[in-house]
Amino acid sequence: MAAKIHQMLHHHSSSKDSGAPSEPDSTSPFERQDSAMDRAREDEKRALAQWEDKQRPMSPGEVHMDPERKAVGHSSRTLRKQDFELIKTLGTGTFARVWLVRLLDDRKGAQDSVFALKILRKVDVIRLKQVEHVRNERNVLAAVAGHPFITTMVASFQDHDSLYMLLDYCPGGEVFSYLRRARRFNEPTSQFYAAEIVLILEYLHEKEGVAYRDLKPENILIDAEGHLKLVDFGFAKKVENRETYTLCGTPEYLAPEVIRNTGHGTAVDWWAFGILVYEFLVGQPPFWDQNPMKIYEQIVEGRLRFPSAMSSSARDLISGLCTVDTSKRLGNIQGGAQAVKSHPWFANIDWDQLYQRKVQGPIVPHLRGPADTRNFDEYEPESGEREAYGEELRAKWEGFFDDF
Amino acid sequence: MSLPSDYSNEISALNREIVKAQPADVLQFCANFFLRRLESQRAEFLLSQQHSSPKGRGMAESTFPGNNPFGTSPSGAFTTSGMHSLEEEEENDTIASPTSASFAPGIMDQAPSDSPRESTFGNFGWSAAAGSKPLSPPVFGAADKQSFPNNYNMNRRTSVSAESLNPTSSTHDNWTPPFHQKTPDQQSRLRAAVAGNFLFAPLDDDQSAQVLGALQEKPIPTKGIKVIQQGDVGDYFYVVENGSFDIYVNKSGKLESGPDGLGNRVGTVGPGGSFGELALMYNAPRAATVVSTEASTLWALDRVTFRRILMDSAFQRRRMYEGFLEEVQLLSSLTPYERSKIADALETKKYPAGTTIIREGDVGESFYILETGEAQVFKRGTDKPVKKYKKGDYFGELALLNDAPRAASVVSTTEVKVATLGKNGFQRLLGPVEGIMRRNDPSKASAMDSDAIDPLARK
Repeated sequence: MAAKIHQMLHHHSSSKDSGAPSEPDSTSPFERQDSAMDRAREDEKRALAQWEDKQRPMSPGEVHMDPERKAVGHSSRTLRKQDFELIKTLGTGTFARVWLVRLLDDRKGAQDSVFALKILRKVDVIRLKQVEHVRNERNVLAAVAGHPFITTMVASFQDHDSLYMLLDYCPGGEVFSYLRRARRFNEPTSQFYAAEIVLILEYLHEKEGVAYRDLKPENILIDAEGHLKLVDFGFAKKVENRETYTLCGTPEYLAPEVIRNTGHGTAVDWWAFGILVYEFLVGQPPFWDQNPMKIYEQIVEGRLRFPSAMSSSARDLISGLCTVDTSKRLGNIQGGAQAVKSHPWFANIDWDQLYQRKVQGPIVPHLRGPADTRNFDEYEPESGEREAYGEELRAKWEGFFDDF
Repeated sequence: MSLPSDYSNEISALNREIVKAQPADVLQFCANFFLRRLESQRAEFLLSQQHSSPKGRGMAESTFPGNNPFGTSPSGAFTTSGMHSLEEEEENDTIASPTSASFAPGIMDQAPSDSPRESTFGNFGWSAAAGSKPLSPPVFGAADKQSFPNNYNMNRRTSVSAESLNPTSSTHDNWTPPFHQKTPDQQSRLRAAVAGNFLFAPLDDDQSAQVLGALQEKPIPTKGIKVIQQGDVGDYFYVVENGSFDIYVNKSGKLESGPDGLGNRVGTVGPGGSFGELALMYNAPRAATVVSTEASTLWALDRVTFRRILMDSAFQRRRMYEGFLEEVQLLSSLTPYERSKIADALETKKYPAGTTIIREGDVGESFYILETGEAQVFKRGTDKPVKKYKKGDYFGELALLNDAPRAASVVSTTEVKVATLGKNGFQRLLGPVEGIMRRNDPSKASAMDSDAIDPLARK
């Protein structure tokens, strides 16, 4: 609802800025080709090209404000796929592909404007029953845009058969890649990354009422300065004080209450956070088996085993987080995220400095330029076959994509 | 005398490996397995040594020798370093023989010799699975340093998700689970068949009855029928009523055409057995092909039905608890969010008729809500009950506030189900009750023992 209002407001204000008559929009907005549209598009591209320079950490309060008043996170009625050059695939999913793109702009300096563009085909989103998840993803990203450790959705847009989310590009690649190559992180490295994640969860849970639901090293990127960016909000959901039931996540990271389907909330992220810290320190998650059902059996049992002399404060933190009973789970009990931040394992963290991105991270990627992709793996090219987004599907589903 | 649990764990891990690999040379396979385990366990030990090494020096800090901002600071605090290059971890921990008595100090001595090298992570490859790696030589040398000594799958992990589910009562469609009549014999056989499955273990009687009722009979008329095919998406879980099935796994991950398309036969399942339980979680490709070897009968249960039964009962239980809690005057200042947290923490207990749930004079620990059944309140010196409790009534809530003795006894008159929460549990979630009460009305906190709040507090 809020997003819908925002979209209308935004459309209104952008038309006004470009001097276009504010007429009711009877045709599909992305098909309009009048000159006012072109001018609005040029304005928008100029703003995009300069976006990086204006970046600075916003306070939690600033991030939380109405997306309409923020510089980022809006639903654009002017941008098109043709405004970008697709350079390289950065990642693929079952119904989405993320590209490194360059903003096509004649003005000087625009060569440096690169982004990650997540492209979702409407027909695949519908076929895989992910419409609700994709809507959640877009709306949560719009709401949280500007947080220092969450990928910034600069804008979203759509055309006839696809949805687009324009995101900041994190040239450092996935924490996953560093972790697998290093086998495991030492304690200070683990503490640094874990602490930035705590700030993300604190914000998502306590300011936005959002459960992220897919925490794992694969979804954490390193930006050019060595700080984390959480990406892929496909399962993120505004839950507030109601529990939710749809099973989603990654097998090794699923919380017991998700497996047992007794209803879950933001507490699942604290469970997954415990698994994540364990995986940082040990190199693999605590519950694992070739057979996924055996993983789930171990998870609901919740018996953790630690390497014999892992520091006692690390054990204590992980045990607190990976507690089967949510009414005893650290992060979910009294104090919330603050109780996690006060844990002795984080004794060396200056939380304010950390939020301000003033603490140097342990890995700062080596880069030849803003569009360097050396830290990303190679992916198979896109297959040619496409199912058409026909009239029948369109009639039934198009309304669900209004927010884009 | 029982076997040590560590030993049993190792043996069952070995059994799984044997089943999976079907080795020709069993002794060699077992020897290799234990050597691998030893290597892994020693590596873990070394890791733990790293974790316990002092901050600012020692092995742990060699992980990123080129740019580690932590290693340079004796206090362990973060400092800014000018060096930004990224280094590969030195794989020191497998250099020495893990069986050597002096391996740990030897390793520790190597730390200072680490010199920063210019390198990127490049093609540094871990073997993805122990099974694909050549047999390790019995002596661990430097040659082995790139192996990851266990069978964890190091690849990127795929997210999973099931159909979006919304509770029946919130969508106003009157869903009830399908019901298929069964004989008492069939029911007890089914109950036994799923007893060992952790997904069914936590079900209460009602849920259990619903799930068993929803299982649908599926006759398999002849042999050679593929009930599930490896690689296909799965929606059903099956229990074998009678007959027999062979299980095949094709190494390619899916059923292929041709005479060997089934892959290797890895097992057989007969009456009382079950298969396909991952389908009860989410839509995942089948891990095996299951083929009937004779005319048989199956019971089938689909994921959506199973998960809806679990969801609906959890949803109803939560709403019921929240409704009860709203009536508790002592907790009237809780926000809906706090109330739902408390509802989540309530524990269900069942007592037969005639049980004394709380006893006058005892120190109170827990608070109770009567969920089903009836109970009576007794006070010393009177034979007749002074009060009756029915569904939704609550008692003992002053225990959340103080350690005063119970003012009366509560005895169940029928079989009862209560939802209960202890003082510790409450404080763990929301802090002391006094603080919560002061939110609304500071005077309330001091008026705690007033009659209005708990009839049991009456002197």
